[in-house]
Amino acid sequence: MNEEKGIAEQASPLVLEKLAAHHSEALLAQRETRGRVGVVVRKEQAYAVLEYLKTDPELAYTYLVDVTAVDNSQMESELMQFDYARFMVVYQLYSYQGQCRVQVKVPVHENDLSVPSVTGLWRGANWLERETYDMFGINFEGHPELRRILMPDDFEGYPLRKDYPLRGRGERESFNFEKQNV
Amino acid sequence: MGLAKTHIQSGQGAAQTDGNIITTTIDKVVNWGRKNSLWPMPFGTACCAIEMMATLASKFDLSRFGSEAIRFSPRQSDLLIVSGRISIKMMPVLKRIYDQMPDPKWVISMGACASCGGVFDTYTLIQGVDQFIPVDVYIPGCPPRPEDLIDAVMQVQQKIASGAAPKGIEVAYE
Repeated sequence: MNEEKGIAEQASPLVLEKLAAHHSEALLAQRETRGRVGVVVRKEQAYAVLEYLKTDPELAYTYLVDVTAVDNSQMESELMQFDYARFMVVYQLYSYQGQCRVQVKVPVHENDLSVPSVTGLWRGANWLERETYDMFGINFEGHPELRRILMPDDFEGYPLRKDYPLRGRGERESFNFEKQNV
Repeated sequence: MGLAKTHIQSGQGAAQTDGNIITTTIDKVVNWGRKNSLWPMPFGTACCAIEMMATLASKFDLSRFGSEAIRFSPRQSDLLIVSGRISIKMMPVLKRIYDQMPDPKWVISMGACASCGGVFDTYTLIQGVDQFIPVDVYIPGCPPRPEDLIDAVMQVQQKIASGAAPKGIEVAYE
């Protein structure tokens, strides 16, 4: 138990220190709670930061655990923090070497819903980014095959956005079952 | 057992046969055969399918009721067990599987999700498969116990033995 805590305590400041030293211009915010580290980075430098986190030999965040997004449109306090960026794309990374995690968030404005794809860094990002596109409508530029993954191809709207009604817009009744290619 | 009953009744009616000749109807014999050799097509999409597997395994042993021959080809089966959530993307697949099954065919809607959407009253989930395919027997529960599925199979058997048309045929001739 103590040993685990030791690693987390050791490793957590390292990533923040190194990011501050190498990518200080990209950092919008950072936090550390009980050894869990999170950073918010500018969209323009997001790819560079993620690449740095993966390829730096001391950090080596080689495992992309998840890519997802958060719709903050109904969270005024969150919105204000980052210049009213509606979405926050979230990358969860894990380092086998340091046995620690880091969460990288990227604010995305509604009028420019594009983020660079990280499929070039982690091939596993392919489906994760497709899911984020499917659910939130965020475009991952450079993605090899950005199309819906869970919802039917001709589905309209992005169901995990906060303005999408829980019971849908009548898809359950109006969905064309005959037209679908089974 | 239904056939045995037919023997006695027929035997009593025909005094000179000494009970060696059976008179019955073709329908009764055919239904007796159908009822005791239901071949289920499992359509397991969620936790209900786990209970369905338990029902088929040795402890609950659905083969005692003659329906252990699970076929993963709809063309070889006559009982569709829908066990689990069905999304709008999955529904065309289910519909097609139902259409591929040869008549006569029966459908069991197993569990709350298949029957009414369950707790998933959301944009993507079908609120009851009976909106699209005819269902003969519904099973409540989330998930239902294996005994409930056995009970449903027995209800289908009773329905077959009674000579009632499957729901699918009823709907077709309405």
